[in-house]
Amino acid sequence: MLARIAWRNVWRNKARSGVVIGSMIVGIWALAFGGGFMQSFLTGYIQSAIQHEISNGQIHHPEFDKDQNIKYSIHNPEKILTYLSQQKSVKKICERSIVNGMISSSRQATGVKIVGVDPEEEAQVTQLGSLVADGEYFPHVSHPVLIGEKLAEKLKVKAKSKVVLTFQDVHGNITAGRFRVAGILHAASLVINESSAFVLREDINQLLGIPDAVHEIAYTTTVGTDDLALSNQLTKMFPDEKTESWQELSPSLVFMQEWMGAILKILIVIIMLALAFGIINTMLMAVLERIRELGVLMALGMKRSRVFTMIMIETIFLSLVGGPLGLLAGYATVSYLGEKGIDLSNYSKGLEAIGYENILYPSLGLTDYSQIVIGVLITALLASIYPAWKAIQYDPVEAIHSL
Amino acid sequence: MATLIQATEVSKVYHKTTVPVNALNGVTLRIEEGEFTAIVGPSGCGKTTLLNILGGLDHPTQGKVEIDGTDITTMKDSDLIDFRLHTIGFVFQAYNLIPVLTAKENIEFIMLLQKKSKKEREIRAIELLTRMGMVDKANQRPGELSGGQQQRVAVARALASNPRFILADEPTANLDSTSASNLLDLMAEINREQKATFVFSTHDQRVMDKARRLVTLRDGAIISDITR
Ligand SMILES: Nc1ncnc2c1ncn2[C@@H]1O[C@H](COP(=O)(O)OP(=O)(O)OP(=O)(O)O)[C@@H](O)[C@H]1O
Ligand SMILES: [Mg+2]
Repeated sequence: MLARIAWRNVWRNKARSGVVIGSMIVGIWALAFGGGFMQSFLTGYIQSAIQHEISNGQIHHPEFDKDQNIKYSIHNPEKILTYLSQQKSVKKICERSIVNGMISSSRQATGVKIVGVDPEEEAQVTQLGSLVADGEYFPHVSHPVLIGEKLAEKLKVKAKSKVVLTFQDVHGNITAGRFRVAGILHAASLVINESSAFVLREDINQLLGIPDAVHEIAYTTTVGTDDLALSNQLTKMFPDEKTESWQELSPSLVFMQEWMGAILKILIVIIMLALAFGIINTMLMAVLERIRELGVLMALGMKRSRVFTMIMIETIFLSLVGGPLGLLAGYATVSYLGEKGIDLSNYSKGLEAIGYENILYPSLGLTDYSQIVIGVLITALLASIYPAWKAIQYDPVEAIHSL
Repeated sequence: MATLIQATEVSKVYHKTTVPVNALNGVTLRIEEGEFTAIVGPSGCGKTTLLNILGGLDHPTQGKVEIDGTDITTMKDSDLIDFRLHTIGFVFQAYNLIPVLTAKENIEFIMLLQKKSKKEREIRAIELLTRMGMVDKANQRPGELSGGQQQRVAVARALASNPRFILADEPTANLDSTSASNLLDLMAEINREQKATFVFSTHDQRVMDKARRLVTLRDGAIISDITR
């Protein structure tokens, strides 16, 4: 009966309850949408970094990180490659030779990271081929090189222009090689766009004087792999090398993940606060307008605790109506946009410059949804405490005679 | 007849205003089982204050009130709530009924608070509505009833809890004279049939005429007490 009274009281002032239910719907929808949007922003960013740049993990000589000296090549790459290819969670593997040097055109010269790759392997691991905007991906020409748009602009070169790469070989002698710009890369990543030059590994190794050297092994993993655990396992297997997962390679990604998480939490708190004030306001009005009635109930012999409970139940009913509707709206929006994607290309000049993808696919997990539901329920409960408490502050006599 | 209510030297002083108000000045009053008593007097003489104190809704500044020999003036508020629920039926001037409940549900509600079974509640509610001539309005909400009909439901509800007595503070104040007199006739009938004790206050001369005992207050003191 208490529940029946509460339920009917909810609908006593339809407009007012409607406003609260409406704001609940909007709040939950905003949370779901905001959460999904940020999630996609984040995964998009991380995925793009993993897919095009750092991969899920990389292996180096332990000293290589420090000064990228070419003498620090991986001790036994064959053994590692064989082991990696036997791992179920490892999808694709590639080897690279890396040397820092200079790239110069007839007009300009600038520092560059020269990366020697196996075109087929590289295409599978980093989709390097897909970034070619102009020209071709390692065509059959002698000494091809791929560079980013920004770098090309700086050097004032186009596809088919000639450039010279200069660097120290294994003996410390300055060596230079003539290369032909085979393709220009259009990448979100700053590193690729501004300061990398991709060449054939055999070309660079020959110039370096170390034909079999491998400075970097990168690998991708299947969906759902615990990359951190895998890199730890590899470190144990090959203690002479340094294996790092993407989290270790790029702590800024992890930081970003945490940062986004914090922003989402702030967003949640703000929306919940707004919701809480809406509920408090409405329920307080509902209580104050019924003071006489509540006074009669208490005079008749209804315990204060019951009056309190009744007001709480009213709030819970409000949120039980608003909650699922908001959730449904949020779910529908996120699912729809998750299928269709949000095209940000109108705004993406800036986004792409800092490494974002153009089209976002919002998604939210079950835990996110349940967190939202629990959050809203707790907010509703907390927000109903004050009005319910207010309801029982009056003496029956006072209440009955109040205006 | 056994003594039901015994008020002894009851005084009430309100300190809410700058000048203390002596709403009741040493009222001593005995009410026996089966009485049909009206408390009358000019506005501000202390009728409501007296009824509130007799009903355990308010505490006297001095004196004591015993109901069936139990002193209720020393009871804790939380115990008083239970005491009221089981011992006293209330009818107020207005806003008696829960607006979102039907007439029948309003009557059942008080029995629900008393933890009576669903079946018992239903039977008694219908029985009382029939007695009050309101059974055809059982499923209407208060808003759909006239003032007189609402007060009849309120009396039915007061009876539903099987109280020792019923307190009604100006139950007819918001009613036209025909409805007022009908309500009083009904109350008087129930008083005779069921030996239910009624104590009510009123301004209305026609309502006073139906009382068997007339207690008149002036300035918080009893100035006359006539039983007819
Ligand atoms: N809560 C209160 N605070 C302060 N003074 C009060 C309070 N309630 C009543 N009084 C005063 O006590 C006196 C008695 O009031 P009471 O309401 O008992 O009179 P009444 O006989 O019921 O009057 P009425 O016929 O107008 O209902 C009045 O002077 C009134 O102003
Ligand atoms: Mg009065």
